[in-house]
Formats: sequence, structure tokens, C-alpha cells
Amino acid sequence: MAGFSAPFDRRRFRLHRARAAADFAAHDFLFREIADRLIDRLADVTRRFGLGLDLGCHAGRLASAALDSGRVGRMIACDAALAMAREARADPRVATLVADEEALPFAPASLDLVLSNFSLHWANDLPGALLQIRHALKPDGFFLAAVAARGSLAELGEAMIAAEAFVTGGARPRLAPMADLRDLAGLLQRAGFALPVADLETITVTYEEPLRLLADLRGMGETNPLLDGAPLRRDVLMRVSEEYRARFGGADGRVPASFRVAFLAGWAPHEAQQKPLRPGSARHRLSEALGTTEHPLERDDKDR
Amino acid sequence: MTDRNPDVDPKLLEILVCPVTKGPLVYDREKQELVSHQAGLAFPIREGMPIMLPDEARPLGDDEQR
Repeated sequence: MAGFSAPFDRRRFRLHRARAAADFAAHDFLFREIADRLIDRLADVTRRFGLGLDLGCHAGRLASAALDSGRVGRMIACDAALAMAREARADPRVATLVADEEALPFAPASLDLVLSNFSLHWANDLPGALLQIRHALKPDGFFLAAVAARGSLAELGEAMIAAEAFVTGGARPRLAPMADLRDLAGLLQRAGFALPVADLETITVTYEEPLRLLADLRGMGETNPLLDGAPLRRDVLMRVSEEYRARFGGADGRVPASFRVAFLAGWAPHEAQQKPLRPGSARHRLSEALGTTEHPLERDDKDR
Repeated sequence: MTDRNPDVDPKLLEILVCPVTKGPLVYDREKQELVSHQAGLAFPIREGMPIMLPDEARPLGDDEQR
């Protein structure tokens, strides 16, 4: 990614989030759904965690749910917007602060668990953010996050390009750049996480009126990461609605909006974790296990 | 919610560091700030919540530097 300017304006990002805080409960369905899925995944880990962090906490649902699950002793929640952190503080069990995912204020090896609910796709420097998270984790600490992946809102992206081209004669992609699953898995590994896992789930929401989706994105504070650039003209917007219906409308008259949600998990390295064996360290021959005869390889000429 | 300034969670103070230098912070209870001398920044505490954003921090004056 070197050579590209930062795609997201962090100040604008905080502004959008702060603006979304007041009426967040009316638009937070996606965060509630993903929080449930993250907690299910956390429950699959047969361990209890002492101190956990909800990173980019929005109104703090995930932090509260993590405590309710009985898997985590104490939770801290941070968001880049004060108005969101204030919402999260409504749960008196959660210690809250304002912090940016790209400049974490946590001491090395101070956390047992870092959770993040659909927030890290905002980061300009995701590799740097993941590295900071790994450093903040104690050895054998666990990281579990959901982020928007490439392909999210593809229907909307297509409808917007078609509409803009129709009305103005020119168009450019309106969806912000998002990483694909393979990139994300590679980033986990590069950040030094052990046993990294990345997988994808698609959450499809349907709308009667396509433009309601835009209102929801604004209400989530997600306008800018997922939708980039200057606002669409009113006549273009009207056309977006038409294109969306024409291309994706179902028999019931509703249109789908797909969110591709990447779930990322990894552990801060610890010597007790399982590791691959060193090459040549096997104690038994494969041929014995298979009950066959071993044929030594012919040396070819390449070593000449 | 009342207007009184609740104290920062002491457990939180234990693990917070400067987001710029990852160096130590000094808690100035009177001014309600967390001071990073290495970065020359004072991070405000509002409503009992530390605001750990480098671009919202107060640059330390010359007389405050060590």
C-alpha cells in the first residue's frame, strides 16, 4: 500500500461517529448481529479472560455482552468519538475512554483479550493497528475482530456507478477500498499473531426503499468508510434508487444489501501454544505408518 | 447523569501509556490531565474519561517541560 495517501480522514471519521451516537440504537442492527456472532465465537474458546478491551466500541454493546457471557472478568471500552464512549459508559461495569485504533494508549502486555466489532476497516494503517494490538496483549492473549471486507455493499456500489453515469455521463467508484479475506489473513500473520484464522460471513439485509440503506449507513456512522467522497446530487440519488430496484429487486419488491463480514482471530505468541514440528524431527517413518516400502529418491543432476 | 467529575478508573490508569511514544503518563488530578513528558502533550480527562487522541491533546508549555 506504500505510495498511496491515507484514504480515510480520521477527523471526519470521528465526526461521523459522534453524530451517529445520539440515535445509534435506531440503526445499530448490524452491530447487534455481529456482536452476537463474536460472542458465539468467544464462547468456543475454552478459556476465561481477565481483562478485555472492546476496541472501537460504538455504544458499547460488545463490551457488555462479553461481561454477560461470563468469559471475561473486566472490560474496557474505547471509541474514537467521545459521544460513543459516553454511551458505552451507561454500563457501569465497563471502564471507558476515548482512543484511536491507530494510536493505542495501552501498555505492552497489559490485556488478556481484545475484541473489535466492525470498526477496524476504518484504519488507514491496518497492519500498524494490528501490530499495536498484538503488543498490548499479554502472551497467550486473544484477539477477535469483525471488519467489513471487499464485496460489502456491492449492490449499492453498482447502482451508484450506473446512476451517476446515467445522469452526469461520468462515474467513479463510490465504495471505499476494503481489504479482501486473503489480505486480512496475511496481515494477521505479518503482525505476528499465532494460530491466525480469517473467515467470511455474509449478512444480507433487505430494504423496501433502497435509499433507506443510505440513511442506515449514516445512522451507523459508516457513511465515510463504506461510501467515499462528496455527497451524491439529489437527481443522482433518485436514479440510484431506480437502478438498485431494476438490478436487484426481488419478487417481493425488496432489495438486498450484502455486508461481507470478515472475522479475524489470533493469539499473542506464547511458548505453550501448539507449533508445527521442525522438519526432520519425526520419530517414525511414514512408510511404517502406511505399511508400504520406502523407495529412496533418485538424485537428479541438478546438484552438479 | 450528573455533572460531577467522576474519577478515572484506577485500573485503567495502571495500563494507560502515551499513544504517541508508548511512554509513561503522569496523572495530574488537579488539572484532570494525563501528561506525557516524552511527547510534550497533556491528554485531557473529560467526564472521567481519558481522551487519548494526540490531535486533541494540549501541547505542554516551556515551563511544564522537564
